[in-house]
Amino acid sequence: MDVYRLAQEDTLVTQARRGDPSAQEAIYRAFETPVYGLARRICRTREDAEDVMQETFLEVFRSLARFRGDGSLWGWVRRITASKALMRLRRNKYRDADDLDEGFVDGPRDRTVLRMDLEAALERLSETARAVVWLHDVEGYTHDEIGRMMDRTPSFSKSQLARAHHRLRAWLGEEVAI
Amino acid sequence: MNHLTMEQLLELREPGREPGAGAAYRHFEGCEQCRTEADRLAQRVARLKALPSPRASRNRFLEIRSRFAAERRRRRFRAATLAVLALAASVALAVVLRGDGGAGDRTSAGAAAEAELREAMARSRDMEAALRAFDPDRRVIDGRTASIAFRLEDQLGAVDRQLEMLGLMPSSPEPVDRERLRLWRERVGLLDALMDVHLTRAKYAGM
Repeated sequence: MDVYRLAQEDTLVTQARRGDPSAQEAIYRAFETPVYGLARRICRTREDAEDVMQETFLEVFRSLARFRGDGSLWGWVRRITASKALMRLRRNKYRDADDLDEGFVDGPRDRTVLRMDLEAALERLSETARAVVWLHDVEGYTHDEIGRMMDRTPSFSKSQLARAHHRLRAWLGEEVAI
Repeated sequence: MNHLTMEQLLELREPGREPGAGAAYRHFEGCEQCRTEADRLAQRVARLKALPSPRASRNRFLEIRSRFAAERRRRRFRAATLAVLALAASVALAVVLRGDGGAGDRTSAGAAAEAELREAMARSRDMEAALRAFDPDRRVIDGRTASIAFRLEDQLGAVDRQLEMLGLMPSSPEPVDRERLRLWRERVGLLDALMDVHLTRAKYAGM
């Protein structure tokens, strides 16, 4: 997915590499929303997501010299965002009550038919599960890539995704419209 | 055969990856319930993709930019430190080779240079006070002006670091004084340019 293609990307990158604030600002403006959006989907709080956004852009400006241009700039920025957000998630792990693979034990609450909207259901997933769902289903990363980014195996990513969908399905009380 | 698990249904969306996917697919083809479940899954994923993108509550570019500029200043400081150390080494070598210690006869040229240095320092102080009174941080600034101002501030930072390093040197032989004067002149020039940038912008903005 490469929705965020910048006009005159090469020129902007060259100028931003030299430290030109106008070029840096153009890059920031172009990617501010998708970077924050991805960070917010992975992080638990708005504050964490804003910190991740800041860290991401700092890293982008610092490392532009290493951007080879063989993929899109957004693809590169997106990977930095995901990696920073996952790093934050690891740091905040203590907050993740139903942590990782030990989580997803159905409690009495889950047997009740709960109808939530998708945002609320997504929010209710553990940080790790939500990150896997978002990275795989929305951003299009493979289980191999997610496993690498999380320092886990592809199987870990697969089982997280399956359990997360199982839960989402229950929480959403879905009816299928064919 | 039992119905497909969620993991198998997800696997079917990435076909050909797992051994046994063929059997799962055959079951899927003939099972209404599993196909319905797969539709649910596809709809859920489509709804996830359609969720609105959350937006940051405020623009953080200036914050990011100033952190980045501070990092760059630190890097330049390290570079400037090395340059000043190299200068110090060459001065020390010159003094040793000349063997006169350099302290005895202060010429009128030296006195003139010192007066010029004092004047540059005073001018720099005045301009800095004027800039503080103008308080550019509290004013709205457009991208182009910000770009020029950031660059000038970066350069000022680098000059200040070099001056700081020169201040740490124990003696003031002639080449060091010359370098100090050059840096103070450069500082005045940069402050002058910075003031110009802010005043011109204020003039155009009608402030």
